[in-house]
Amino acid sequence: MDAYLFSQYLLSGIVIGLIYSLMALGITFIYSIMKMINWAMGEFYMIGSYVQYAVLVTLLPPERWYLALPLAMGSVFLLGVVTQRLLLRPMYVGGIERRDEYATIITIALMVFFRNLAIVLGGPNQYAPKDYARATTLGTLPISGNRVVALVAAIVLLTLFSLMVKQTWLGRAFRGAAQNRVGIQTAGIDVLRLDMLAFGVGVALAAAAGALLAPDFLVYPENGAISTFKGFEIIVIGGLGSIPGSVVGGVLLGVIEALGSVFIASAYKDLYGFVLLIALLVLRPTGLFGERERTV
Amino acid sequence: MRGRILPIKAAAVLVAIVACGLAAPALAQKPVKIGVLTPLSPPGDASAGQFIVRGAKMAADDVNARGGVLGGRKIELVTEDDSGTPEKGVAGFRKLATLDQVVAVVGQFHSSVMGAVQELAEQFKIPVFATQASARSITEKHLTYTFRTHVIDPDRVSLWNRWIKQHDFKRVALIAENTDYGVGLVEETKRLFKSMDVQADLKTVIFDRAVVDLTPQLLEIKNWKPDLVLNGGVGTPVYLVIKQAHDVGLFPAVPMLVSYDLPARPEFWKNLGDKGAYLTFIVYYHPTMKLTSRGEAFRAKYREQFKEDPVYGALNAYAQVALVADALNDAKSDTGEALVKALLSNTFEGWNGTISFSHGEGPYWQQWTPPMLFLQYTDPKMPFGEAKIVFPPQFKTGDLLMAPKR
Repeated sequence: MDAYLFSQYLLSGIVIGLIYSLMALGITFIYSIMKMINWAMGEFYMIGSYVQYAVLVTLLPPERWYLALPLAMGSVFLLGVVTQRLLLRPMYVGGIERRDEYATIITIALMVFFRNLAIVLGGPNQYAPKDYARATTLGTLPISGNRVVALVAAIVLLTLFSLMVKQTWLGRAFRGAAQNRVGIQTAGIDVLRLDMLAFGVGVALAAAAGALLAPDFLVYPENGAISTFKGFEIIVIGGLGSIPGSVVGGVLLGVIEALGSVFIASAYKDLYGFVLLIALLVLRPTGLFGERERTV
Repeated sequence: MRGRILPIKAAAVLVAIVACGLAAPALAQKPVKIGVLTPLSPPGDASAGQFIVRGAKMAADDVNARGGVLGGRKIELVTEDDSGTPEKGVAGFRKLATLDQVVAVVGQFHSSVMGAVQELAEQFKIPVFATQASARSITEKHLTYTFRTHVIDPDRVSLWNRWIKQHDFKRVALIAENTDYGVGLVEETKRLFKSMDVQADLKTVIFDRAVVDLTPQLLEIKNWKPDLVLNGGVGTPVYLVIKQAHDVGLFPAVPMLVSYDLPARPEFWKNLGDKGAYLTFIVYYHPTMKLTSRGEAFRAKYREQFKEDPVYGALNAYAQVALVADALNDAKSDTGEALVKALLSNTFEGWNGTISFSHGEGPYWQQWTPPMLFLQYTDPKMPFGEAKIVFPPQFKTGDLLMAPKR
């Protein structure tokens, strides 16, 4: 295989990996603050894609997709806030002892509920918004314009998120909550409100991925399933709770899958990421950027 | 004492006789249930399932309007969603057999699901019909309760091999999903390339049905420089392959043949926009076809009810429910054994011809095959009825058009 073809596969893996890292970032952010895994993350991705499609066929012309994106993110953010307030907040205020189990049951129930709700409301068929941009080439890679848009938007969102976490008061509060939920309450911060915001922001990132990839990966009730798996793989590879880990993990996963499916066998594309994941769990259980949790 | 008991006993017997008398007409009117086990949610091809349910319902309505079966019993359809997965299919079939006590099951679309439920059909002695499941193995097992009124993969592959030879394609790439159907297509194509002496190189790529990013596989195919791509996806993957092949510059520069009639569906152009132009696809029905009187009546009613042309899945499901009703009347019984006997010993009016089942060789066991045509969309948003028939030669209404260079 020549360098030209190799560079094509490499680029295609990097592009899709970066887009998937949005999903991973949402999962890891919610975990960092609330110490729970949101198994319904793929369904928030799915809802984001549905809202984007619905807005583009009813409210806005297709060429205004960039206005639909914040609407999709905003509506899923609100849905996340309401979901957290009604269903997940009792974990912390209701005297529930086994919080992990509670969160798992609630989010898996949400996953089933949202999927079936999508079938009831939109039917089981596929939909696709019109292309956001014309197909183009990125270096050596012929690529869908939608994917270039998704790549740029993912980089912008990742940068904004990183700036928010590092440069703002709210970001400091989030970091504090991630380190010690009890400690930040002594500084007068309402940690329950932070939970609500964190959940909303996390699922809004998933919705962004869903909305951005809608023209390429279509809109249908189960379209979030595969990205949820990728998201979980990425956070284990990159390290739970690490923002750079989400990005590097995403790129690594994308590249390994792209190269594996071409050089080994495409039928086992999903397997290559798991091989990497298992290798990392053996060699570095905390992931590439994860830190061992301090216990007192 | 004895004298007092006797009148009580007599009264009890009288009450029982009266109760039986009242119950008898009610029993006679007990509906005959037919199961429709089909994909109605992802990852199955849910759109196909919806068309199948439409056709089955219309058949049940027609049969009931004509007075039902077995001397006035109504047909009642019980619909179950198999989601295109064997485990849900098995659960659905078990429910239909035990709880609903259906006399037959129609609507099977995915070969993997059909392969799983046909074993249960033997166990429960309930005839099961493949409506659009085409894997060779389904009828090759020679099972008593399995019937099919749909094409089988060797015939499909044999036809596209003839097309490949006719157009002298030299490098053919087949991208197929990792299901019984997709893997079956790959194996059949490899086998028949040799036996039919197809003078072309063949590249096969199998992908996981759940994967949504097929760019690496399509780049690999593009770099192999094929002159024909065969799209062996089912449901969502068909769209993903077309869209992403378009984006990497593979299609329509290289012609693509979709292995079944998904592009005939009304939502096709909505999902693909201009990217569907120049696509070639296999169908089993075309709106210009002359149908049987049963088929014509269905087509007219369907057009009136849904304001669109029927698709093959609806036609075939309609014909299957109608033939089960006919077979019940022939059998004069609703038991599985009697139904199988009637299915094998009678002929039935289908949607485009007479259907009969026999114990043929290999996969031609209890099998009836509809025609196959290759159609091509040459313009974006082209209505299905206007798509040109490009193969086989005896039905041709146009030549295969290559897309202009971009």
